[in-house]
Amino acid sequence: MSKTKSVAAKHYEILFILPNKFTDDEAKKVTEQVEEKIVAVSGKITHREYWGKKRLAYKIKGNAFGYYALLEFDLEGIYLAKINQELRLFTEVLRHQIVVKKPKTEEQLAKEQKIRVKIASKKAAEVRQEQEEKNKSAETSSPSDKKEDKRTKLKDLDDKLDDILSASDLIK
Amino acid sequence: MKTKQVKKCYFCANNLEVDYKDTRTLRKFVNFFMKILPGSRTGVCAWHQRKLSEAIKRSRVMALLAATHK
Repeated sequence: MSKTKSVAAKHYEILFILPNKFTDDEAKKVTEQVEEKIVAVSGKITHREYWGKKRLAYKIKGNAFGYYALLEFDLEGIYLAKINQELRLFTEVLRHQIVVKKPKTEEQLAKEQKIRVKIASKKAAEVRQEQEEKNKSAETSSPSDKKEDKRTKLKDLDDKLDDILSASDLIK
Repeated sequence: MKTKQVKKCYFCANNLEVDYKDTRTLRKFVNFFMKILPGSRTGVCAWHQRKLSEAIKRSRVMALLAATHK
């Protein structure tokens, strides 16, 4: 909530809570009333969000639940204080908060997109490396062959032993 | 030889913005008593820590985050 009074329109975001006494339809009607209040002072609503009923982190005036709604609008800075005051006196709204929101320029969006692509490629490369390492380790260690080798050797030994034992001139 | 420094800051590394409505991520930077954790402990850079503390306070006002534990 900036106190500077600029003439140029700024982009704002308002989040407000409506009490639990309303039904869902009634709460939507009240959000429309709030919208009208903003439009009345030459505000321009650009985005609407209705979150619905949510549990509050703590009780506000005895309400454990509340309806959340979010609006984004362009407004001249002079009228911000007026809207703030009006909403404070508007008994249907439990609590509200207006925040300045900077709209992103195209340059910023392009930059972010670049960074996102970079991160994605990095992650993909990491995953590939891990898979290669796994494949390598699988190739080098082939435990089944070794076991077979041991078994064959044992069999050979047994055969030899049998031969020796069966020889009749061993005891004599 | 210089060892390569790993970027620890959650918001820098994941290219995220701090948002007071996103309680699930804000909850990571608050302890059991709902106190804001220092950047030295969470690894958040100073620039984002300033945004973070502001965001946590804003979400407390709107009852999205609790100010204390029950």
